[in-house]
Amino acid sequence: MNPILYYQAVAVVLLGLGLYALVARRTLVGMLIGVELMLNGAGLSIVAAAQLTPMDAVLGQLGALLVMGLAAAEATLVLAIVLVVSKRFGDASADAPAELKG
Amino acid sequence: MNELYLGQIAFAFYTLIALAGGVTAVSAASLVRAMLGLVVSLFGVAGLYLLLLAEFVALMQILIYVGAVTVLIFFAIMLTRASADGGEAEGPGFAGSLRGILVVLVPCGILVPFLAVYGVAGFPTPKNVDPAQLGAGLLGPFTLAFELISVVLLAAMAGAVLLAFEKRGAK
Repeated sequence: MNPILYYQAVAVVLLGLGLYALVARRTLVGMLIGVELMLNGAGLSIVAAAQLTPMDAVLGQLGALLVMGLAAAEATLVLAIVLVVSKRFGDASADAPAELKG
Repeated sequence: MNELYLGQIAFAFYTLIALAGGVTAVSAASLVRAMLGLVVSLFGVAGLYLLLLAEFVALMQILIYVGAVTVLIFFAIMLTRASADGGEAEGPGFAGSLRGILVVLVPCGILVPFLAVYGVAGFPTPKNVDPAQLGAGLLGPFTLAFELISVVLLAAMAGAVLLAFEKRGAK
């Protein structure tokens, strides 16, 4: 059989789980957890493609490391945004900032 | 032959860990439990990286994701929660789940048939790359990406401080 397809299948399932959390969760932190799951699946897909095909393996592994760095930067910023939202609206649900004032 | 079976068993084990953690992270009613599910899922993916002979990436996964990102998420839960469950107790509801499933079906409905039809025939065993080669790559052809990610991290850190900063006596 074809090992790379198994790894890609796991990555697709992680993407689906993350997307579901992103859409269905009520709070911003729950959505952040979904985004981390998706980025994780992306890293797994990149490394599997790099290690199991004739592609440059160094490029693939460094790409996965860059994805991790971007995920860390994104988590930092989202933490700050969640703090600001919860300070200004009283709770960290995704619906609170969507309401219009009037 | 024996090694092949061992590899398949290890793959099934790590996949089970990663997916069970992911399901917990998505479905748990408490945000702290969801974060613990995320940690379990990250460990499972680190095991898959080990199976792919990317041991440096696996170690970085544990250091950066499990060590740093989950601590950040935990801080976010701690600093903002209004109740013990973090506001997720009532769940997504029927409309929310339906929306979620519909949104998931779009990219997965595109990706899965493409994988099934155009999936490349990969090697049976992964390549072995020395971490020294990764370092040489960072200092050689991929220097620009390395420098750019440091700038991005600095900008994110400065932006986070700026956003969360509160002037003394502002309120």
